[in-house]
Amino acid sequence: MPLAETQEFLEKDPKKFGVGSEAVVSPDRIAEVARDYRKQNYFLECLTAVDFAECFEVVYHFNRWGASERTCVKILVPKDVNQAPSLASIYKSADWFEREIYDMFGIIFAGHPDLKRILLPESAEIFPLLKSFKGEPKGADVVQSLKLIEEDARGFGARLQGAGLEEAPTGDYYLNLGPQHPSTHGVLRVLLHLDGERVLSGEPIIGYSHRHHEKMMEIQNYLACWPNFGRMDYVGAMSYNFGYALLVEKAMGIRPSPRVEHIRVLTTELNRITSHLLWMGTFLLDLGAFTPFFYCFDDREQILDILEMATGERLTYDYFRFGGLDRDVPPELVPATKAFIPGFKKRLKDYHGLVTKNVIFEKRTRGLGVLTKDQALSYGVTGPALRACGVRADLRRDEPYSIYPALDFDIPTAKDGDVYSRYLVRMKEIEESLKIVSQILDKIPAGEIKTKTPKNVPRGEYYSAVEAARGVFSLYLVSDGSLNPYRLKARTPSFSNLSAIVEMLPGCLVSDVVAVLGSLDIVLPEIDR
Amino acid sequence: MTELVKIILFGTLVALFVSVNALFLVWMERKVSARIQLRRGPLHVGWEGLLQTVADAVKLVSKELTLPKEGDKFLYLLAPALVFAPLLAAFLVLPLGPGLVIRDLNVGFLFVTSLTNITFIGIFIAGWSSNNKYALLGSMRAVAQNISYEIPLLLSTMGVVLIAGTLKMSGLVAAQEKLWFAALQPAAFLIFLCASLAEANRAPFDIPEAESELVAGFHTEYSGMRFALFFLGEYTAVFISSAIATTLFLGGWRGPLLPGPVWFLLKTYAVVFVVMWIRWTFPRLRSDQLMNFAWKVLIPLGIANVFLTAVVLVFLK
Repeated sequence: MPLAETQEFLEKDPKKFGVGSEAVVSPDRIAEVARDYRKQNYFLECLTAVDFAECFEVVYHFNRWGASERTCVKILVPKDVNQAPSLASIYKSADWFEREIYDMFGIIFAGHPDLKRILLPESAEIFPLLKSFKGEPKGADVVQSLKLIEEDARGFGARLQGAGLEEAPTGDYYLNLGPQHPSTHGVLRVLLHLDGERVLSGEPIIGYSHRHHEKMMEIQNYLACWPNFGRMDYVGAMSYNFGYALLVEKAMGIRPSPRVEHIRVLTTELNRITSHLLWMGTFLLDLGAFTPFFYCFDDREQILDILEMATGERLTYDYFRFGGLDRDVPPELVPATKAFIPGFKKRLKDYHGLVTKNVIFEKRTRGLGVLTKDQALSYGVTGPALRACGVRADLRRDEPYSIYPALDFDIPTAKDGDVYSRYLVRMKEIEESLKIVSQILDKIPAGEIKTKTPKNVPRGEYYSAVEAARGVFSLYLVSDGSLNPYRLKARTPSFSNLSAIVEMLPGCLVSDVVAVLGSLDIVLPEIDR
Repeated sequence: MTELVKIILFGTLVALFVSVNALFLVWMERKVSARIQLRRGPLHVGWEGLLQTVADAVKLVSKELTLPKEGDKFLYLLAPALVFAPLLAAFLVLPLGPGLVIRDLNVGFLFVTSLTNITFIGIFIAGWSSNNKYALLGSMRAVAQNISYEIPLLLSTMGVVLIAGTLKMSGLVAAQEKLWFAALQPAAFLIFLCASLAEANRAPFDIPEAESELVAGFHTEYSGMRFALFFLGEYTAVFISSAIATTLFLGGWRGPLLPGPVWFLLKTYAVVFVVMWIRWTFPRLRSDQLMNFAWKVLIPLGIANVFLTAVVLVFLK
């Protein structure tokens, strides 16, 4: 454990708090600490701030690939200083995290290469996560922000980045891929600097579907937060349910019954398959192959039918509860799932025959959008995109939660880190998830699906992380013992994964941009929150 | 005077055929793609949804015609006509049956290929005059693609022309009395199919309009009837290239029992079906890979085929 000998670090119980150690360092030492962690191959998992009455607290969570060793480092930023050193030169992932903190709290990061708004429009003058920002529907701050958003929309064309540069007779030009474009999977804008069809650089611009779940969750009680999680990553919402359930259960010190644990893993893995299927269909659509989309959706519909039996919902699941589930699964769910598996296995063979071995597909994806291990570390890339670089990192094994340790499944990896590897990893993950599902089906024990829960979440800071379909989804909770969370930060995987696209785009053709973008499997509402 | 009547009569007939044919092909494409994709396709308007495309055409006609703000208005309006008109003219030399050809020109085959090339000028103009980057990228790709694929297309037909000794369409059909050229020149037939797919901008060579990359490519800014003209043009181009494939390689209108025009249409629609089948099965190539395929695979193969054919012909004499 680095710097432990300086006695600043406090040992903590990872089972209870989600972090192994914690320290408060002075702001001028944080860069030194971060450099130390970087050398030891830690990545910056999460970076956020909390607005306390006395000062801001900027919280860094570092973690390691392989068996989790999470540490939490904090710096205190007095409100009259309002400035912290930037880590963007050490960790590339800090770039976007710091921009988000600036956007939400107004904290200035000294030395940041391009500190500007990230989720809110650039002309906004509000800092919504400040406790002083009330966000009342008719309050002055909301009226002002609505006006600004409107102005922003009107002046969109005039204030395009690089608008003036187009007159220059250099032959290169700018192309806005999005916010309305068939292949950006939501409202994402990628500003491409092009020379003919060759990409010189590309910058993703996000925030178009920002709804501010984090502020919403601060002003409602813990139970009312459930639906917010189904609406962040609507494609793989079950993992998000899982993350929140684990967080609050850790904090309250309760454990659900084995029946609940089994049903949770079953639904989560089925949901992971639907998420990967949807990804595969849309990704191949980006490459110009129409037909796989319908096959994937056909399979996905069947799983959605099964999940509907359990949850009553088909997309934005809101199924888990603290220490239990919303309701028990009906008896016909198990036979229905068993009936689905053989047909789906046959389909997987078809996919491999038609897509994996397709010459055109291979030619278009091999060697494209390569991400090295070092870049992945720096950008905090997680999930299948990281495993495609050859790193065996999966929180289901590295930081075992629920009944995963007792299950038999592999963590698929590939070694090239290109688009084709990401495809292979996801395809294998579908098979692994199917393996988990078939293991669980026969041994769901009988039992209660509800546990008695304490009324409040005890005071303290808690952290939980799960392996969602797209990577590490983690939550950082600051509880003051009241009915609402004081601060609940959601670290969403695609946020960091998308920021790494800056490294993959230069040298691509326009056709490759959509392939690279598709291979990252981004879900915009999860990035923008 | 009779000449004028003839021109008007044939003109009307061709225009009628082209629109009915395009409507049918769109329906066919929908049904074929639906079968491939676990769907049923249009069902409700007319028998098996046969009139769905008519309803869509009515909708398209009623749409607002938009003009891009900074576009070149004259060229913008000219482009759809420039794409569509040459395709109509190509019907002039298609032999539907024995003696059933409007003008049996001596240079029939060259006439068709040179006409279909004009459409690419129209496509480039469409992309240029729209003042839209996606449209411009699309039209740039279209021109590059056309120039590259014109060469293997002509090379593949040269072997056939060498054997038949004529460029006349009816002469080419007559030369296949005993054996189809597809059997005599299998390599040429495959090259021709690939190149004509690329010429008609069909998947997997549909990079000029690659909707997942370029929104709608060269016709991004077109709406209503002007868009419909491009759409009609695409399907007519598919029909014409399939008709040429039929004439050059599949024995044209020749066949037992049924009359010539029926055989001609049957064979042509069979080729169209294959084209659709390919479209709904493969992902799209990238533009540079497309060029590589033309210059490094199809053209050497085409040259080798012409050379071999010529050598064999010399020896047979």
